[in-house]
Amino acid sequence: MKTVNNNQQLSGSNNVLLFGGLLVLALLLFMADLFIGSVAIRPSDVLRAIFTGAEAHVETIVFKFRLPKAITAATVGITLSLSGLQMQTLFRNPMAGPYVLGISSGASLGVAFIILGFSANISPDTIKGMGNWSLVAAAWVGAGSVMILMMYLSSRLKDILTVLIIGIMLAGGISAIVSIMQYFSHETMLKAYIIWTMGSLGNLTSSQLNVLLLSAAGGTILCLASVKMLNALLLGENYAVSIGLNLRLARIIVLAGTSFLAGTVTAFCGPIGFIGIAVPHITRLIFRTSDHRVLIPGIFLTGSSVMLASDIISQLPGSDNVLPVNSVTALVGIPVVIWVLLGNRKYRSLF
Amino acid sequence: MIHCRLIIPWVLSHILISLLLNACSGRGSGSEYDTLNEKQKHSQRASRFTLEENDSFTRLTIINPWQGATGADQVWHLVPSGSFPPENVDPSEIIYVPVKNVVCMSSTHLAMISALGEEESIKGVSGAGFLYNPELIKRYEQGFIKDVGYEDNLNKELILDLSPDLIMAYSIGSESAAYMTKLKELGIKVMYNADYLESDPLGKAEWIKLFGALYCCRERADSLFREISDEYHRLKKYILENTDSKPNVLLGLPFRDTWYISPGNSYISKLISDAGGNYLWNETYSSVSMPMGIENVYIKALNADIWLNPGSASAKDEIIAVDPRLASLPCFTRGSIYNNTKRINGRGANDYWESGTLNPHVLLRDIAAIMHPGLIAKKDLVYYRKIE
Repeated sequence: MKTVNNNQQLSGSNNVLLFGGLLVLALLLFMADLFIGSVAIRPSDVLRAIFTGAEAHVETIVFKFRLPKAITAATVGITLSLSGLQMQTLFRNPMAGPYVLGISSGASLGVAFIILGFSANISPDTIKGMGNWSLVAAAWVGAGSVMILMMYLSSRLKDILTVLIIGIMLAGGISAIVSIMQYFSHETMLKAYIIWTMGSLGNLTSSQLNVLLLSAAGGTILCLASVKMLNALLLGENYAVSIGLNLRLARIIVLAGTSFLAGTVTAFCGPIGFIGIAVPHITRLIFRTSDHRVLIPGIFLTGSSVMLASDIISQLPGSDNVLPVNSVTALVGIPVVIWVLLGNRKYRSLF
Repeated sequence: MIHCRLIIPWVLSHILISLLLNACSGRGSGSEYDTLNEKQKHSQRASRFTLEENDSFTRLTIINPWQGATGADQVWHLVPSGSFPPENVDPSEIIYVPVKNVVCMSSTHLAMISALGEEESIKGVSGAGFLYNPELIKRYEQGFIKDVGYEDNLNKELILDLSPDLIMAYSIGSESAAYMTKLKELGIKVMYNADYLESDPLGKAEWIKLFGALYCCRERADSLFREISDEYHRLKKYILENTDSKPNVLLGLPFRDTWYISPGNSYISKLISDAGGNYLWNETYSSVSMPMGIENVYIKALNADIWLNPGSASAKDEIIAVDPRLASLPCFTRGSIYNNTKRINGRGANDYWESGTLNPHVLLRDIAAIMHPGLIAKKDLVYYRKIE
């Protein structure tokens, strides 16, 4: 009994160190994201823009381009990772992620309808009207429909694994519809759609950023409220029920929270891959626990750090070009996860 | 009805699809025009086709008709109808001229045929909903012109039924050439038109000579082109002599946070520099439109005096809808934004993509009028209009 206490204290102080270190890292990366971009601006100019004021164009770049992008990156990193963590716990499956139930497929379908679908009757000129909100709305409707369908199914199905399988099937089916639309679509439209699927962080207007932040806050609160349920679910559904968990309610809450987070992010930024699956694993390995009371705050720091780092890399500092952020998250993150997993044979026990 | 005809416009608009560069032969002035040898004279600016006249037929070569094509030349023997075909020539390479019955896959082809007064030979088009020429619309409505569909949705049976002398097609790659293979197999002659690959404005217009050869009106086509070319050179000289400033020009519109930038060696860039402007990415050289970070483009665009071809935006609000940050660009606040959308009919067809190719001198005049106030009256703009 005494040793256990010691261990807990030890891991407690360890966690404080870890949280501190990660917090510093996240803040540094956030600042770096403001300093580094595709346009070379002297760090001193960036600082002046932030604190005293600088030339108009520097201020525009910092406040209208980089700051919203950095905030978006951090928010996206956090929300997708949280969403992934909950899904992995709910399905007791390390392969689960925010998009496993077809949320991103649903969003893609909505966007495909706007970009590819109606081109039957309108010219490519229609991209002109494709202001930000129309794509966001379409993606949200798509993601929301899938979410409602999955919640309905999960309330009727007893076995969570069946829900997972149906979700994957549904995602495949929706992708097939999108493929058909791609097949028949105009090349320009196709390219526009492909660009959307590559994800982007830097295109949110300030009002959209507000909506994103509000939705992320809402989804996160829902997520925090479900910490106890998630921890109970870790012990298995039967056990969770035996200690009084309302399984259906738990599923609905978790699914609603994750889908809301993932759907909103996808609507604004496109389907951002990898983060939602990988960051929960990275976080578990860093904190060496599966306790959601630690993991959830941990994910705030790891998720935002990974996404900010990816964004910095995608700007290809020093070049005119930028890379699609989706490719960066995968290319940077996957080796990290593999490396971490190879070095931690006991990882399975954390799950 | 998605319409592949408009692929060409989109290539031109330099937003998304690649452009192939070609070294423009004969950038010389008008005086050199007459001294060039016979072959070059027929194809002085255009680099993608040659016409060689023999005693009994004309040999037409379409040179690598899609981007990145090598060894994909198409050779045709244009034989006056009624005369004997040349010996040792594959019959599938023979076209009897003048052609009487053609199917056109691109609107630029239609404009050139119309310019030669041969509208009646057009039996099929791709994407009839996007016709601009009122005469052709009338003929479509009367049923003389059929819509043959597009690419994978090509109505092959209808085409067989029309049994055209020739399908004038274009291809953006060997893969997309595949949809025409079946037609070739059925004995229908598919000629690739590579006008969209010409980066020289006059080179594009010069393709009218190919139609001149097909319709046995070489002289009319040559003289039409000469008029266009002379006017283009006259205007270019006039602009050069009467302007001393070179306004900076921004092109295009971003999609999400990527801005596809037309390279400096593109068709539109050439028009801008001939019209006495300085395209902001004039120095770049690429075979494709280059994806650039919006932050980067924004910084450079702060120096833009004029903003041309902002996608398909027809109002400032539409630009704001795409990205509100663009509203703080000086050229936006000054209202110096012009788009090539003046001639759009009720069907949504834009004549810029139809007759614009044949009228580089008019485009040059428009762009010069926009960039040099007082030089040419802006009220006379033909293809361009101010974005309010």
